[in-house]
Amino acid sequence: MFFKKYGDFVVGIFYAVLGIALIIGAKALPKSKVMEIGPDFMPTLVGVIILVLAGILLVETFTKFKANAAELEASGFKDTSDYKRVLGSLVSAIIYVNILKPVGFIVSTLVYLIIQIYILAPDNKRTKKDLIQYAIIDVVFTVVVYFLFRYGFKIVLPGGILAF
Amino acid sequence: MNALAQLGAAFLGVCQPVSIAFMVAGVAIGIIFGSIPGLSASMAVALMLPLTFTMEASLGMNVLVAVYIGGISGGLISAILLNMPGTASSIATTFDGYPMAQKGQAMRALGIGIVFSFLGSLFSFFVLSFFAPMLADVALKFTPVENFGICFFALTMVAILSSGNMVKGLLAGLFGLVFCFVGMAPIDGTPRFIFGNQDLLAGFNQLTTLIGIFAVADILISAEEMNAKGVQTIPVTKVKGFGFSMKEFISWLPGALRSAIIGTGIGILPGIGGSTSGMLSYVTAKNMSKHPETFGQGEPEGIVATECANNATIGGAMIPLLVLGIPGDGVTAMMLGGFLIHGLSAGPLLFVKNADVVYGIFAACMVCDLIMLVVEWTCIKAFVQVLKVPKHILMPLILVLCAVGAYATNNRVFDVQSIIVFGIVGYIYHKFKLPTTPFVLCFLVGSMTETYLRRGIMSYKSFGAFFTHPIFDFFWFVACGVLIWSVFKEFKAAQQKKAAAKA
Repeated sequence: MFFKKYGDFVVGIFYAVLGIALIIGAKALPKSKVMEIGPDFMPTLVGVIILVLAGILLVETFTKFKANAAELEASGFKDTSDYKRVLGSLVSAIIYVNILKPVGFIVSTLVYLIIQIYILAPDNKRTKKDLIQYAIIDVVFTVVVYFLFRYGFKIVLPGGILAF
Repeated sequence: MNALAQLGAAFLGVCQPVSIAFMVAGVAIGIIFGSIPGLSASMAVALMLPLTFTMEASLGMNVLVAVYIGGISGGLISAILLNMPGTASSIATTFDGYPMAQKGQAMRALGIGIVFSFLGSLFSFFVLSFFAPMLADVALKFTPVENFGICFFALTMVAILSSGNMVKGLLAGLFGLVFCFVGMAPIDGTPRFIFGNQDLLAGFNQLTTLIGIFAVADILISAEEMNAKGVQTIPVTKVKGFGFSMKEFISWLPGALRSAIIGTGIGILPGIGGSTSGMLSYVTAKNMSKHPETFGQGEPEGIVATECANNATIGGAMIPLLVLGIPGDGVTAMMLGGFLIHGLSAGPLLFVKNADVVYGIFAACMVCDLIMLVVEWTCIKAFVQVLKVPKHILMPLILVLCAVGAYATNNRVFDVQSIIVFGIVGYIYHKFKLPTTPFVLCFLVGSMTETYLRRGIMSYKSFGAFFTHPIFDFFWFVACGVLIWSVFKEFKAAQQKKAAAKA
């Protein structure tokens, strides 16, 4: 609901802020001494274009806001997205990429995969039998990928605490 | 006719049982490397190079060519099945290939992709065989100024891509440009927007960005409705042959020819590459089409356009490589090394001194192309088995592969972390209904545009001097025309809508 109703506003404001930040950021960059345009030229240009377009979007959204909101009410739209699963997946993925190096590929992947599959699995697919199946897939996949990369493609993935 | 006779003799040389067997193996290895994101064609060539040391020179070069061709075309498999471009060249294949696979047409999409990859490369190899020296002269005429013209032209394509909701489309694209600024500025190496982070100094890697915005975002998006929809597997409709009729094939041919010409043309220019040619050809196809709204929803012509163009780039890229000794990108640089090791010095005298070797390479290219077609076609059935795995299991496995691929590109954990960042960008784009295609196009072309602009100004002192270059003028004015025309069309459409609302 939020995204449908206020989405374009948020986008417009975000880009307006981004444009201003770019222009300010570019001001801080050193000017080129040898030629007409230095490293600050492109960011400034892009910043200005973004700011103008964001302005147009905001004005457009503002003038149409009432009509759109009424239309949305009438359509009876409901957001059925399951944000619990999205957030869970995101958090586990973020943790995974951050422990990949210190803990090592094998251990972190073993842990991550089973958790991620469990988070994504529909409610009726979380029985004990399913879990055993997931665990087997997890172990086989991790080991195969590690050794395939190590010996097949000559790419050594981070060993971490289980280095060999 | 001389070229034809030499090509014929070369074919006889290439078609020895031993050499065919090695080439099949080379193509297969290339396909594996190409289809896994992070493992690139250049890595495959680098890995195979030492193995060719003990081979005879001609056999060694044939194997390298085989790996190269397999590596470029392999990217379409993961692009279509998993929405994960295996190589940067196959990004645009995901736009229509993945929706087709979701609709159960995975086999058809793969069939189309493979056949038109084959045709695209074949076209470029014919151009290579007969016109290489002539075209190399054209490549020499391209200064940074002309290259800037092409890049600018490519950037304005965003306007066409985002027709219907132009302001949002343009903004979506410009955000991609912002990411290009991160890292060292071209020419002078001034650090920009790195916020004291050393890892950001090198900028964001192209492939990791693409993996993030497509594959990782896709995982988050499908997590939204995983529970509501229950266990999901993607249906696969079996098809006969390549999955399309003769009539369809003929109707796609003009588009394929146009794409092959775009691909070969861009390939000849060193430093622009397959990803840009695929995107440009895709946008052109969308623009020329009678039904542009079907593009992005699973339109076969979209796959035809991209695959034809990105494979045609191979032959194009070999023209400056062989004739001038200039490699256009990482893979061709690797190939040049391989050729040197086998005693072939690329350069202007090559066609005079080593004509037999050169035509041997051309013949090997064509034979490998055919092998690629046969190998991939026989394996289609095996490829689509991937889709039988339920989504809640497949998605996490893909994420791990993406992470590994991102790590393999540079051996940096930073790249792995950035796929998550771009995954979030992709998800937010989805939530706010911003299109990702303009983002990708701008991100790919952005740094090149800036580099060529500044290099051009460095050589010619002012921007005004750019206009003395006729090729630049052509691209510049066509680009401006496209821009004005798109804005005008958008404005008219908005007014019509207003009138309709009032009535």
